[in-house]
Amino acid sequence: MTNRIKEFRARHNITQEELAQKVNVRRETIVFLEKNKYNPSLKLAHDLAVVFKISIEDLFLFDDEIK
Amino acid sequence: MKKSLLVFIVAGLLILGVVIWITTSSTILKEVDFLHLGIITALIAFAIFFGIKRFKSEKRKEPVEDEMSKKIVQKTAAISYYFSLYLWVFIIFIKDRISIKMDTEEWIGTGILGMSIFFAITWVFFYFKGIKNDE
Repeated sequence: MTNRIKEFRARHNITQEELAQKVNVRRETIVFLEKNKYNPSLKLAHDLAVVFKISIEDLFLFDDEIK
Repeated sequence: MKKSLLVFIVAGLLILGVVIWITTSSTILKEVDFLHLGIITALIAFAIFFGIKRFKSEKRKEPVEDEMSKKIVQKTAAISYYFSLYLWVFIIFIKDRISIKMDTEEWIGTGILGMSIFFAITWVFFYFKGIKNDE
């Protein structure tokens, strides 16, 4: 599974720290998410999608979708 | 503030314990004692690093713990427990086969310190490697 958090964060012009505060996690968690080293819970995935005003499917790409 | 302070209190108690141990010890420290001291020093350094990390998070008004950090601790606990079982088996095997003579308390102390070291190493590993649910 990969994600487009970095891309959408750049589009919305917000820093990792600001995004972390919006979804109530540590900045490190955002760093790990952007590096694809951590798969978030459904709740965090939902919160991130809400911040970027997109659906979870647009933010997270599953391996079978990439192929 | 309370949570990061707790880590420093535990580290402080550990230092105090070591100081009391050294000052009240009537015999000269043996090789094993120096090994224990080295491990305890490494653990204190780890605790201070952990405390500073938490303190910085609080300063940035971030949560001290979130879902990823909790998951890292859970996985660390599980893996280090698994390795600790092998450590105790190894200690039981080796205790009568080495030239250094240690009493039961010293072996138990070595085992407990070994478990702590396993925990610290495993935590550092997952902290830098990350955790994926699909692994």
